Amino acid sequence: MTPVLVILIPLTGAFLLPLLQFLSRKIIVLVVCLAGGLSFLGNIWGACSGWLRPTVHLAGGWPAHIGIALIHDPLSSPFLLLAALGFGSVLICSFDRTEKFSWRFHVLLFLSWAAVNGILSTGDLFNLYVFYEIFSVSAYLLVAFSTMEWQAIEAGFKYLVFGTVGAMFFLFGTTYLFLFTGYLNMARISEALMSEPGLPVFIPAACFFIALSIKTGAFPSHFWLPDAHSSAKSLVSALLSGVLVMVSIYVFIRLFSVVFIVLKPLVFPLMLGTGSLSLLTGHLMALRQDDIKRLLAYSTVAHLGYILIGLGCASAAGFNAAIYHAFNHMAAKMGLFLTAGILASHAGTRKISELSGLGWDLPFVSILFVLFTAVLVGVPPLNGFMSKWYITLACVERNQAIPALLIILGTVISSGYYLRIIRRLFSGKGTQGTSKDRGATWYVVTLMGVLCILLSLLPLFPVFTDTLHILGNWIMDISMYKDLVMIP
Amino acid sequence: MTMSSMSFAAAIIIFCTGFFTLLTGRNLFRMVIGISLMEGALLLFIITVGYVPGGVPPLLPLKGLPVNPLPHAFTLTTIVIGASHIALALAFVVRIHSSYKTLDVEKIRGLRE
Repeated sequence: MTPVLVILIPLTGAFLLPLLQFLSRKIIVLVVCLAGGLSFLGNIWGACSGWLRPTVHLAGGWPAHIGIALIHDPLSSPFLLLAALGFGSVLICSFDRTEKFSWRFHVLLFLSWAAVNGILSTGDLFNLYVFYEIFSVSAYLLVAFSTMEWQAIEAGFKYLVFGTVGAMFFLFGTTYLFLFTGYLNMARISEALMSEPGLPVFIPAACFFIALSIKTGAFPSHFWLPDAHSSAKSLVSALLSGVLVMVSIYVFIRLFSVVFIVLKPLVFPLMLGTGSLSLLTGHLMALRQDDIKRLLAYSTVAHLGYILIGLGCASAAGFNAAIYHAFNHMAAKMGLFLTAGILASHAGTRKISELSGLGWDLPFVSILFVLFTAVLVGVPPLNGFMSKWYITLACVERNQAIPALLIILGTVISSGYYLRIIRRLFSGKGTQGTSKDRGATWYVVTLMGVLCILLSLLPLFPVFTDTLHILGNWIMDISMYKDLVMIP
Repeated sequence: MTMSSMSFAAAIIIFCTGFFTLLTGRNLFRMVIGISLMEGALLLFIITVGYVPGGVPPLLPLKGLPVNPLPHAFTLTTIVIGASHIALALAFVVRIHSSYKTLDVEKIRGLRE
């Protein structure tokens, strides 16, 4: 029953809150805490059970080729864990004293949490589309939520237009596959495409590729991402960059390693190219920004590039490195957005040139900021270095020299723009006076710092290699996934 | 030309019209109309996928060759999703108009680059 409960708990939270809004604030806070805690535990439970014993739940008892199968397997479990960490920390941040408590925000948060869990659990294409749209609509609203400023509304509209076009292509691809194979179950479609080579596979694959690259914010259609991620509230930006983007990466892996396995030699080099271009654009555009959050958003485009390069290697090592990088990016980028939010609200501006001397006013936050930038740049003992190193190794293994060189070039460029901020932070004298106010965001930022350190220590343990081995095998050998879905 | 291939052609033409409207529209309302045209075209496409010439409603007991009921379920779900997109887009347009006093894309330039 787990895959259902994992979706159901946050969804119940989202639907209960509007009904209970007339009651006292204490009850609402209690419901939010309860739903959040249970959803967190549900995700962890789903991740563990999916990892140890892959489970399939057939909704309504219909067999997989007619009904909807909900699956927790070793590929979805790392992403479930990522969602749990990301949403959990954003939930804690939303209780910060500086944030105005609003049940509407929590409704959107739980709705997107449920949709993310749905995307991670489902084995059915149309169901994936529905969850994707619930997730997208709540993400558009989360972007526009901020303080209902014009900037956020405009960014939300832009995100909506791009996202809707992506959704159209997604639906078109789904219907096209249904037209020719008669199935919606991913494993079944993959089987049908493999057994009948005459079926048209290029058009749906192109549709899904376009749709997903729009929804992820990869190179040719990355225009909405910096606007959306920089105009939202800091904690929403953290959520968007850390978790929601990675969900699209999961769909990338799932679709192109299961459904379109016949097109493997064609699609993955394309992904490598998209990744390389996103990396270059993201870093070069970040170099020109003076708005700290916009800079971080462009850096997210670049890190999507790293992850896509990892996927594009189409080897177990590449997939593993990409997923490990997704975790590192989540911890560091969420931390960066939250610390940047604290620094910007303390200085009263988001312009990097006006942040002088803040490092002396807020030493703890600034040091954490430096730690997170070090992770993203890839300073050797830290986790960011390890995952970039693994991605580079995977590229070299596949004889892809250009992406490997681009990764190294990207590191140089990113150290350029991060050092500019750090120099600005610690130059001159503090003027604003120190702040003793430590809200919930401080604890979350500290937590993210600890998470970064833990992730850096991870490669030292042999368990980590075994884990990656299981994960890589599961992604590369899809017969295990097919057996799991099609036997019952 | 059979019925269904005409319908497919119509769906593709409407989809392209919608996409063209979305890309070239300078007015925000035109963009929303473009989105809704694209959605309509997709609905037509999905319905045509499930179309069986001379099919009967898929109700038991069957009186002949039934049509595929699954695309109808998709259509209903897609209509709901499309309505939520359009409603949200229009809400954003209203908010944008109240702060910029214009719907011209060229004049709404709060976010650069």
